[in-house]
Amino acid sequence: MENLQEQSLLQMNLDYDGGHILHETVRWSRFLSIVGIVSISLMVLVFALAGTTLLGLLPKLAPSLASLADLGTALIILVLLVVFASLGFMVFMLFRFSVLIRKGIDQQDQVAFTEGIKCLKIYFLIGGIFAILGLLGNFVSLISIFLINRIHF
Amino acid sequence: MEEQQLPQAPQDLENFFNIAFDGVTRAHLRKAAVWAKISTLCAFVGYGVVLIVAFIGQPVYSLGSNGEGLRRTVTATSIFGALLSVGAGIFINYFLYRFAVSSIRGIDSMDSVKANEGFSSLRRYFKILGICLIIVLCLLVLVIVFAGLGAATSRF
Repeated sequence: MENLQEQSLLQMNLDYDGGHILHETVRWSRFLSIVGIVSISLMVLVFALAGTTLLGLLPKLAPSLASLADLGTALIILVLLVVFASLGFMVFMLFRFSVLIRKGIDQQDQVAFTEGIKCLKIYFLIGGIFAILGLLGNFVSLISIFLINRIHF
Repeated sequence: MEEQQLPQAPQDLENFFNIAFDGVTRAHLRKAAVWAKISTLCAFVGYGVVLIVAFIGQPVYSLGSNGEGLRRTVTATSIFGALLSVGAGIFINYFLYRFAVSSIRGIDSMDSVKANEGFSSLRRYFKILGICLIIVLCLLVLVIVFAGLGAATSRF
């Protein structure tokens, strides 16, 4: 009895409430990941079929991204491929998190549960890197707007 | 022997699924929470930058002689859009931040209740994102249907 109590003090277990919360969490994350995978596949398909036309329309659709057109088609395609691959890997990790956590809880499989949490870590790691890049982009746009305003006044 | 036959409901509930947060799992969960915290903090700072851009850094362009009214409309619309998107973003990312904070506290203090609070916040985060996604998909379907109807009626 004492051993059991010591073990419960030294170890953290997934209790009844936690299991049910995680069960509902993975239901939503699986939905998000499936929609994400379908969306990314559609975007890749659209760029594969009408990439040249879209690149031609870029200055009209998004004037702020018009300078990207000067970089060259090959570089833009490379950047898009990296972005799509990263996003695809991210949503795949979310899907694996959902599947493995559900398997871990349903089949009481510790290995699958740990792998699921690892996938969640990778998902948030990629999300964090994207967030840092987005923040840098925000700062760049802020600086450029201030510079443009300074030139005009 | 008698002790073993006694029902141990609280302990059964504590390890209901026979899954432990061992050292490796805790390390993974802690790193996940740390990265979630980094992304939320970046998002919060980014929202501040977006608000600054919306309020102060309006783009400079000429709108002709009667462009002052149009300029005000554009400014008001962009400020309203920025406020709306920042409000929605803060609301969604708040749950991710709570997941990060509660999970880190729960893991550091070996507290299952805190860890469960973190998972609950993560559930709400995914739930809100899912509901937003469903709304966006419904709007997209409506746009496609109306565009199709418009194209069909203009043909006849």
